[in-house]
Amino acid sequence: MKRLSSGLCVLALLLAVSLLAPVQTAANDKKPLSYDVSKEVTLNGTVSSVLEKPAQGMIMGSHLLLSTSSGPVDASLASFGLRGKGAAPVASGQQIEVTGIMKTIKDKQVFLVRTVKVGDEVYTIRNEHGVPVSPHGRERASRKTAGEGL
Amino acid sequence: MNRKTYASILAFTLMAIVFLTGCSSSSAPPVVGITATSPAATATVTTAYGAFTATVTLDGIANILSPQPAVTFTAPSTGASCTFANGTNTETDTAVSGVATSSVCTANYVPGAFTVSVTTLPAAVASISLTNGGGVYAFSLSGTEIVNGGPNSYALAGSVVIDAAGDLVPNGLSATANVAGEQDYNDAFGFTSTQPGGDIVAPEALALVLTNGQGTLTLTSGNASGLFPNGNATETLGVQFVNNNHALITQFDGTATSSGTMDLVSLPSVPNGSFAFTLSGVDANAYAPIVLGGVFTLSSGGLTAGEYDQNDAGTISPPGGILFPVPPVTVPPTAPIVTASAPDAFGRGTITGTGFVDNGANPYAAALNYYAVGPEALRLIDVDVADSGSGSAFGQGTNATAGAIASLGAPCAGNPSQSCGVFGLISNNFGFLYAAAGYFDITDTVGGAFEGVGDNDEEGSVVGGATPPVISGTVNFPGVDGYGSMVITSGNFQDVETLGVYLTDPTLNLNDPNNTTSGLGGAVVAELDALQGTGVVAQQTATATTAFTGNYAFGSQDFFCNICEFDFVGQGAVTNLSFGTTATGLLNDPVGLFGSGNQQYPGVTFMAAPLPDFYESTTGRYSLFTTNATPNPFVVTVPVPASNPPATTSIPFNVVVYQASGTQLFWVDEDNFSLALGSIEQQGDLSLVPAAKRARAPAKTAAKAKQK
Repeated sequence: MKRLSSGLCVLALLLAVSLLAPVQTAANDKKPLSYDVSKEVTLNGTVSSVLEKPAQGMIMGSHLLLSTSSGPVDASLASFGLRGKGAAPVASGQQIEVTGIMKTIKDKQVFLVRTVKVGDEVYTIRNEHGVPVSPHGRERASRKTAGEGL
Repeated sequence: MNRKTYASILAFTLMAIVFLTGCSSSSAPPVVGITATSPAATATVTTAYGAFTATVTLDGIANILSPQPAVTFTAPSTGASCTFANGTNTETDTAVSGVATSSVCTANYVPGAFTVSVTTLPAAVASISLTNGGGVYAFSLSGTEIVNGGPNSYALAGSVVIDAAGDLVPNGLSATANVAGEQDYNDAFGFTSTQPGGDIVAPEALALVLTNGQGTLTLTSGNASGLFPNGNATETLGVQFVNNNHALITQFDGTATSSGTMDLVSLPSVPNGSFAFTLSGVDANAYAPIVLGGVFTLSSGGLTAGEYDQNDAGTISPPGGILFPVPPVTVPPTAPIVTASAPDAFGRGTITGTGFVDNGANPYAAALNYYAVGPEALRLIDVDVADSGSGSAFGQGTNATAGAIASLGAPCAGNPSQSCGVFGLISNNFGFLYAAAGYFDITDTVGGAFEGVGDNDEEGSVVGGATPPVISGTVNFPGVDGYGSMVITSGNFQDVETLGVYLTDPTLNLNDPNNTTSGLGGAVVAELDALQGTGVVAQQTATATTAFTGNYAFGSQDFFCNICEFDFVGQGAVTNLSFGTTATGLLNDPVGLFGSGNQQYPGVTFMAAPLPDFYESTTGRYSLFTTNATPNPFVVTVPVPASNPPATTSIPFNVVVYQASGTQLFWVDEDNFSLALGSIEQQGDLSLVPAAKRARAPAKTAAKAKQK
């Protein structure tokens, strides 16, 4: 255990030293994918770019680059946001409303989107725990809404 | 009696002894002899040798004994053997006119050589040398389906009989004639094998084609439609044998990709005793990620005790889990009722449960099929049409009644009073994508405090790298049934925080359940926090770099982009902590990470020279990083398809390896663009692998090559 303790202490020291180094951006969120619905905010913006696949440095999944009144926002639509039946029909230049929470992941701010409002339609991207909603899930939800059941 | 009478009795007695013992005063042949034959010297497991024949002779002449003697045929009671019509390993028959004929003896499930003893009285013994060839293999896979409007989450499990030549042959013990295998396929999106029968796998010559234990297994549907539920007539699996009993596999066609294992089936029996289990898949409510884990005890097909945890898209069961009811159950049931059926000749049976509740508070029934690898290892597959998933249940052995904190790991090398282990976790493909691995040291085996290091890639957000976080927390087993948890409280391991931990038999290797000598002990794990994934804990018994040497098989399941996946299996020789140029394998890339569309690549090469961390002797951790002082990423190079040259043939990956022992290691890809979990397993004897006789010898280590 002595060997382990000393090793881990050195590792901890290295970590502390690295934390003292100059930081270019805000500290990364300790739990990047955890979703606290109580911290949700809603943003309005114009879609400047639609990324079906992540650009380098982004978390996985599809993204929207939004121009908002407070500046550009990287909005994460998770794996299924732009994919399959019931996907949000978003195009560049559109004005949209997104609800979600802001995180710092991979040294960048990213907005984890739970819902997207395009026109009068609201599209669910993640559930209340932040878990991505798949096209299959959207389809099943619509069937339930239609009274078909499972 | 006078002296003459005594002499007569003595003479008669001596003559009787001479007759009965076969001795004679001259060098003539034995008085009583027996010879025995079998119609065949070899038979594929579960298939018939035919009836044995024994000929009893007196002074070399048959057909003169009276009364007719009894002849007993006895096959071994354990291991490779055969079974007579009476259902046992022994049978006694009468030698009519000096010839006794047994009933048909059918090879059991265990491959290997054995001897049938043939005896009669007066004492005479003969033997028949026989060999069971091939094997019954249970397979299980899960991953991403491409067809049917994919990506979909799917699972596939089954069992097939493979003879020594690599042919799929009918199971001689099956109630249905001419069936070489059974399987269940489920994507919960329209492609679900019809129950209760599942799919039939047809006999097929040379279905398993191997070179050095690596190759493909082709499964062909024998259903009335001629197609599997996925609409295909065939499924192709990539196969990499680790030893005679165990292989790493991937689906290796353009319809789906996945990772899993294939293991020799030994004597399937009704599941009985205590098990620890995990399942991972998608739920019925919203096709959302769901994982379950727990412990249960089966007795006579009924569940008598147990508790489980469930994480259904972030809705998590209460701490302490949900108790399975102990019969008699009140009506209506307040908790799931579970029953298990006996397995068929392929080791396939059912486990059904009612009374489960999903994250929408809807009660649901669960229909699982199991494929028994052995009495302590069941591959599980969900066969409901609306939900899909797969997992394993492993026997708990002594940990069912004496599970304790220290049981999770092995005595640490530096301090045997502490308990050390290695863990690996991976998401299912429809939730948050993540893969994590790490080392832990339970410094307080009473209170459960542990510390360690770990690596975790969550959708490209990575902790690990050159300075992996020092994680700490608590392991807790509130009872003695092996049901417990591991909570990481250091707050530096991203979202991996609370794990349900379920102890397995300390004599069981979870990667290779037929292995009784190495890599034993540990637990299965279910994630019970913001993430949904499952994994295993392996006891750490050797961290020396010198133990990481020899021939290894390896495999990995890699997620990238939007529900994209590639999988590979391979093998190579490690010398001086490098695979050198020996590592080759099969890689399924249906989405086209390598830029060449939907491709299945044979002949892939892997470059890997793991660099031990400064504290590797404690943690068992190695790195393969582009950022190391001497860059040593794990480089995967695919051959160029003639039809569609790829954009790139080589991709470097940043990978970390955790060594549980020289026989068992885990590796995790922690790139921004991809993440993966896989295993590296030391290879053993491959001489009895089906189709081995058609293959070349196993890869030589570089050391051996040098000697030459």
